[in-house]
Amino acid sequence: MKKSEKGPVIVLVLILIYLLIPLVVSIIYSMFSNWTGIVPKGFTLKTYENLFKDKEFLASLGRTIVIAIIPIILTIVLVLLALFAATIYFPRLEKYVQIICMIPYTIQGVILSVSILSLYVGNPTFLSNRIVMLIGAYCIIILPYIYQGIRNGMRAVNMPVLLEAAEMLGASRIYAFFRVIVPNILSAIVVSSLLAVGIIFGDYVLVRNLASSAWPNVQIYLYQSMKSDSMKSSAVFVVIMAVTFAISAVVLYLRSRESRGRRAH
Amino acid sequence: MDDLNTEKTPMNKKKYIYLIALLPFLLVAFMYEIIPLITIIINSFRPDTGGAFTLENYEKIASKLLYQKAIYNSIKISMISAVAGIIIAFFGARAAHQATGKIHHIFMAILNMVSNFAGIPLAFAYMILLGNAGVMTQLGRTLGISAIADFNLYSTNGVSLIYVYFQIPLSTLLLIPAFEGVRKEWQEASTLLGASKTRFWTDVGIPVLMPSIMGTFSVLFANALAAYATVYAIMMNSISLLPIQIAGCFVGEVKIRKGLGGALSVVMMIIMVIMILITNAISSRFQKGGKKS
Repeated sequence: MKKSEKGPVIVLVLILIYLLIPLVVSIIYSMFSNWTGIVPKGFTLKTYENLFKDKEFLASLGRTIVIAIIPIILTIVLVLLALFAATIYFPRLEKYVQIICMIPYTIQGVILSVSILSLYVGNPTFLSNRIVMLIGAYCIIILPYIYQGIRNGMRAVNMPVLLEAAEMLGASRIYAFFRVIVPNILSAIVVSSLLAVGIIFGDYVLVRNLASSAWPNVQIYLYQSMKSDSMKSSAVFVVIMAVTFAISAVVLYLRSRESRGRRAH
Repeated sequence: MDDLNTEKTPMNKKKYIYLIALLPFLLVAFMYEIIPLITIIINSFRPDTGGAFTLENYEKIASKLLYQKAIYNSIKISMISAVAGIIIAFFGARAAHQATGKIHHIFMAILNMVSNFAGIPLAFAYMILLGNAGVMTQLGRTLGISAIADFNLYSTNGVSLIYVYFQIPLSTLLLIPAFEGVRKEWQEASTLLGASKTRFWTDVGIPVLMPSIMGTFSVLFANALAAYATVYAIMMNSISLLPIQIAGCFVGEVKIRKGLGGALSVVMMIIMVIMILITNAISSRFQKGGKKS
């Protein structure tokens, strides 16, 4: 406190420079038609203009959004129902719900995708449908984040006390859970859904191994354009990163607002 | 006893209706997590040609140079990137803990954002930066710095360099909270006793942090071991790494090799578990040492 030390600031600035260089260079690259010398030349935004006219690109963005929304809603409903039953009626099962929810942390994309693939490929029913497999895989990969968000939210609102109060006022437990608890943990659910959007938005392994040509999302679009046109792909890159950063900025904002709100109580 | 039982039964009956709420969750978890994992382990003990129990898939991995190399490269790249990541994260997290005000907030915000920067976009950014016609590569050529101009991104070293990048935000974010455990008074006390700053960190700071450092290390190792998109974008299939070999058994081949791919997946999970056990053993030694003194 007495003296503002310079050492830590220098370390932080150096790390920030290191982390930002690849980003900044790619952003500049997307806006100049010629960068072979030291200074880039030929400023243009034409690449972005063409990109947003490209139907393939817009379709790939749309696919990414659709394939993010379905598993997130599904997983939130599943985890809410499971935690409702487990925390109120079967506390002993809660541990197992937690274990199931945390396993995906350790298995990650490659193993999850090939194990789902080897189980359902060639299955005569709808289960062999690539999109169905992909949705199932996304539900599992985002499970730890959704679970932790909802669980932390439940702890923060002091669920047993709230439930008891609602019951004393004559509400049933189901009513109390879904009309009193869930609205109170909504912001925790929003934060974890946004994290899940970020994960699905950045996914390449699962979509490549499970769906690939059946569902070319924006990551696959980037991968394919990388081989042919580096200007165009740098613009795709900027769009992807802008969305990713916007998501994490909102998460950061919501979290800081929440912790400030809690301190104020 | 009898009384208790009769009292319990109607309540239990009512209670068990709520098991229905658990069913959808369990259904999805079993269909897409538990059964697939069990299947892949069972498949690893079955020959691809069909038939009964066998160890031939594991024998193939143990005897073929391609798979030995995949295991070796995977462990090597994961180790290098995890060690480099943890060292940079140590200094970064310490600095972030010491710094206050604006720079701290900016650092945390950028760290959080960049922690999502991985996979195909990261590989692409490094190709723009250090690829054959990359911006830095050309800069190195004009300035005559051969270390940059001749750097080969499309190699194990190049891949390690990119892996280090995505390890830094993650490891720093994981380590920062641990520095709360290193009390200011300890540092003041050791300064009073005549210890230098470096001495404080080697003798007190790092041992106290060791459990967190080891925990973070195993996360980083697992993270690098399972990483697929980044390396695939840079090298396609021209590098022998476990995730690439595993995916190769299932995707893009005429015939899917479930057995071999399953065995490779099991090997990868075993490596992960071994690393967790090693890091746990190291950190528990430090925790015991702390309790005694």
